[in-house]
Amino acid sequence: MGLKGITLRLALVLAAGLIGTTAQADQLADIKARGTLICGTLTNIEPLGYQDAQTRQIVGFDVDTCAAVARQLGVKLEHKGIALEQRIPELALGRVDLVAAALGYTKERAEQIAFTSAHYQVPIRVMVKTAAGINSFKDLEGKRVSAVTGATTELYAKRGLPNTQVVSFQTGPAAFLAFMQDKTDGFSTSHTAGLGFLRETNGQGKFINDSLAWEPTALGVKKGEAALLAAVNGALQAIEASGELDAMWNKWYGPASKFPFPREKKLTPIEAFMN
Amino acid sequence: MAGSLLAAPDHRALLSGGLWLTGLLFVMSWLLAVLLACGIAGLRGSRFAVLRAVAGVVVDYHRNVPGVVQIFVWYFGISALLPSGMQRWINRHDGELLLAWIALALYAAAYISEDLRSGFRAIAPGQGEAAAALGLTPWQTALKVLLPQAVRAALPALVNQTLALFKATTLALTIGVVDLLGAAVQIENQTFRTFEVFGIVSVAYLAGSWVIMAGGYWLNRRFAVVTAR
Repeated sequence: MGLKGITLRLALVLAAGLIGTTAQADQLADIKARGTLICGTLTNIEPLGYQDAQTRQIVGFDVDTCAAVARQLGVKLEHKGIALEQRIPELALGRVDLVAAALGYTKERAEQIAFTSAHYQVPIRVMVKTAAGINSFKDLEGKRVSAVTGATTELYAKRGLPNTQVVSFQTGPAAFLAFMQDKTDGFSTSHTAGLGFLRETNGQGKFINDSLAWEPTALGVKKGEAALLAAVNGALQAIEASGELDAMWNKWYGPASKFPFPREKKLTPIEAFMN
Repeated sequence: MAGSLLAAPDHRALLSGGLWLTGLLFVMSWLLAVLLACGIAGLRGSRFAVLRAVAGVVVDYHRNVPGVVQIFVWYFGISALLPSGMQRWINRHDGELLLAWIALALYAAAYISEDLRSGFRAIAPGQGEAAAALGLTPWQTALKVLLPQAVRAALPALVNQTLALFKATTLALTIGVVDLLGAAVQIENQTFRTFEVFGIVSVAYLAGSWVIMAGGYWLNRRFAVVTAR
């Protein structure tokens, strides 16, 4: 392969990069015309979106949220399972209309996609071994904490624990296993996702009694789709007012559920977190 | 677009750190892999059936089990069996990088050893016999007569394996090594600028691969057998 060959290949790569920008008209009008709302949720996080062992269907709080929004818009729900890394590309390419997938709001992220009002907020915790004698975030200085790549817990751990090494793994179970094997001293997780893991420690683990952040969680819409964003915000307001949102939360996170956690903060406009 | 992403100093630091780790992991893994591959290829040509069988099993395992699993076995499995003092030492000294290095080197060594073996088989049996007749010891025969010819015969395949290893270094991010791809994933997570981030990284890996290919091309010409005209 000579210089000419390399130049030709480079040109081909650049050309390929230019293909694949899609134009879109008003997405809300498309949804109404199509009669379905394509809503993406995760498929491997209980109880947000996971496969029900009996029915083999993807169920969970996020799936219920999708269905409720679709009902409010007067269209049918078309559910789509997506991976954590897929959330933004799928929205940007217009393959899903709405993403309900543990989408934590940050200012930087809001430059790429539009966030709806925050429908719940969760504290970000750090799990440690009870026997380790770690009782505050300061005790973690010079130590190591595991996190999940692509999750906001990784961001908050890096920001909130500047003197702690954050080691990121591809999945929650891998980050948790590294913590359980004492490869790291802590495991940063949202309170809700962490409850399931905490049970797995059989009493060996606990949350440090402090939070790295209170993360506002919202739904995501493609940027520039003002009509769709307003419609989804309206739908969220309606199900908050009717108590449907609280009822859904209690179905998955209520006192009798596997992951009891009260929904303290009600629906909050995303502008409240922008400063 | 991509320029503004690179303009942020913390993104640049993350990416250059990732580039350094990718380079380090690739070079170190390649060196160890070649060394191990020579050993494995040697064992496969051994007079003793047991040694041949052991080498065969090593090659079978590393060629037939997915790379991610191999790296997990080293990181979560084998390292957990070590004495606790040693485990603590590994954790304090970039254990992720160390175990990824071992796993990747073994993974690549299995493939490279097979290529070397086919290289050795390309040599006419008369070569070894001629060397023995000239009074060279078996070691001298292997190192000075057979190995150079085997490497020459296997060179195109070795370049292929080198490229494969270069990309396989990304497996290390599954156990927390923030290599070039790992850095990209973190920036993507912070900014959601998916296409730009992975665009930049794709170009970087492509550039690295082209350097390897160009090196292979040069070696191939440098060591080509010149036949009489």
